[in-house]
Amino acid sequence: MDYKEEIIDHYKHPRNFGDLEEPCIAVRENNAACGDMVEVKGRLTKEGRVHVLRWRGVGCAISTAAASMLSEKVVGMDKSDLEKFGVDGVVGLLGGEINAGRMKCATLAYNAIKKLFDHATNS
Amino acid sequence: MFDVKKVREDFPILSRKIGGAPLVYLDSAATSQKPRQVLEAIVDFYTKHNANIHRGVHTLSTEATGMVDEARGKVAKFINARTEEIIFVRNATEGLNLIAYTWGRENIKKGDAVVVSLLEHHSNLVPWQVLCEEVGAGLRVIEVDDEGKLKLGSLEELLDGRVKLVAVTAVSNVLGTITPLAEISALIKKKAAAAKLVIDGAQLVPHMKTDVAKLGADFMAFSGHKMLGPTGSGVIWGKKEILEGMKPFLYGGDMIGEVKLTGTTWAGLPSKFEAGTPDIAGIIGLGAAVDYLTNLGMENVREHEKELIGYALGKMEKLEKEGLVTIYGPRSAEERGGVLTFNVVGVHAHDAAQVLDKYGIAVRSGQHCGAPIVERFGQMAMVRASFYVYTSKEEIDFLIEKIREVPKVFSI
Repeated sequence: MDYKEEIIDHYKHPRNFGDLEEPCIAVRENNAACGDMVEVKGRLTKEGRVHVLRWRGVGCAISTAAASMLSEKVVGMDKSDLEKFGVDGVVGLLGGEINAGRMKCATLAYNAIKKLFDHATNS
Repeated sequence: MFDVKKVREDFPILSRKIGGAPLVYLDSAATSQKPRQVLEAIVDFYTKHNANIHRGVHTLSTEATGMVDEARGKVAKFINARTEEIIFVRNATEGLNLIAYTWGRENIKKGDAVVVSLLEHHSNLVPWQVLCEEVGAGLRVIEVDDEGKLKLGSLEELLDGRVKLVAVTAVSNVLGTITPLAEISALIKKKAAAAKLVIDGAQLVPHMKTDVAKLGADFMAFSGHKMLGPTGSGVIWGKKEILEGMKPFLYGGDMIGEVKLTGTTWAGLPSKFEAGTPDIAGIIGLGAAVDYLTNLGMENVREHEKELIGYALGKMEKLEKEGLVTIYGPRSAEERGGVLTFNVVGVHAHDAAQVLDKYGIAVRSGQHCGAPIVERFGQMAMVRASFYVYTSKEEIDFLIEKIREVPKVFSI
């Protein structure tokens, strides 16, 4: 697996990185195997689509780039859009080549954003 | 001393290429590679002797039973234990759980205390943590210094009459720290005489001559797959007097004495703790691994690894001075097993490992099932290169050379 230039770019200059003021929904997701952490905060429209999304976290190039890329991609999506996009979509964003050992890194932010929708439904 | 080149010829996997580059396997602390002799022992069993043990009077079953008994004898001799004190389990984790579920739950009560160290692998921490939560006992933790060495002063303060058990690793799987077991055992005798000492020997038995008669311990767990044996083979050693007084761990076939609908009695040692069909081929493979290591000589194995870690630390310290890497763990080869733990400055451990993989180098990255000690050093993950009998200085040179390539990948 090679680190594509786009991954390095998002890793070094993560998009939508930062905090979001209340009111918003916040989700924290950890990757116990490597200690990575991502916190996603977002606001949804009345129709349940992502309006604003910010994220913070510590992690490797893959998890950082995945969070950064997804944070751009998911704006306007609702829960079913994201599920349709799926893990395959995330892998696609990362260049289509992620080995099994790095899947947890690649999907950390994806799982957090999925939970964001669940929290919205529950609240 | 043995000839590493010759040793390498016994390991078929070492001729593998990873993306065109020769495999440089530096992850033996996770699991070791297996020599031809071990692989052949497994194939030999399945092709010529396969049958269940202790189950039949027919020839194959008798042969299989004899082969398992023979392997048990080899393991016992290898660590200077009595044969009936060797209990086969799947791995060190299962062994440690066996002690926690049997001796632990019978003897550790509300208000008692268990002492572990910050160096523990999750398998020698979580079972005790859960037990303490269940029964209302306290979990006390031995601190480490900035080189990752145990603070004996900290242990001395933790020990008192409430302590029923001390569970400590012999060699840290994360930092390679060799712990002072003799001093620990002496301190326990002085300040908590009734406490039992459980040793996690997963990184000890494969790498250093181990004599349980001299360890001052009551139990020790280790894994066969980290000492050239197959996965699925592990050992728990316990003092016979203690094992005899313990209840079984799992119930079922092979571990019973007499079964009546009104009640059942238990088999003697070691069968009492070996319910069900064990990993027969795995045990026989472990016996072959013990033969292999005995043939090399465990003093030689340690000498070889001490030389490698000293060599690797020397080279890495140069990179450290250049600001390229941070090294974790003891700086003296005397106090350290063949485990080199580091981070490339500014690069996550997984990314470093991924770049090294491109050159065929297999290192471990992450928390190494030891989150507390990794976090003690303010890190979320570390890179670990671990050595064994087949590791050569050339491989360490290659690792050092390629570590220099790591930051370049992320400097666009």
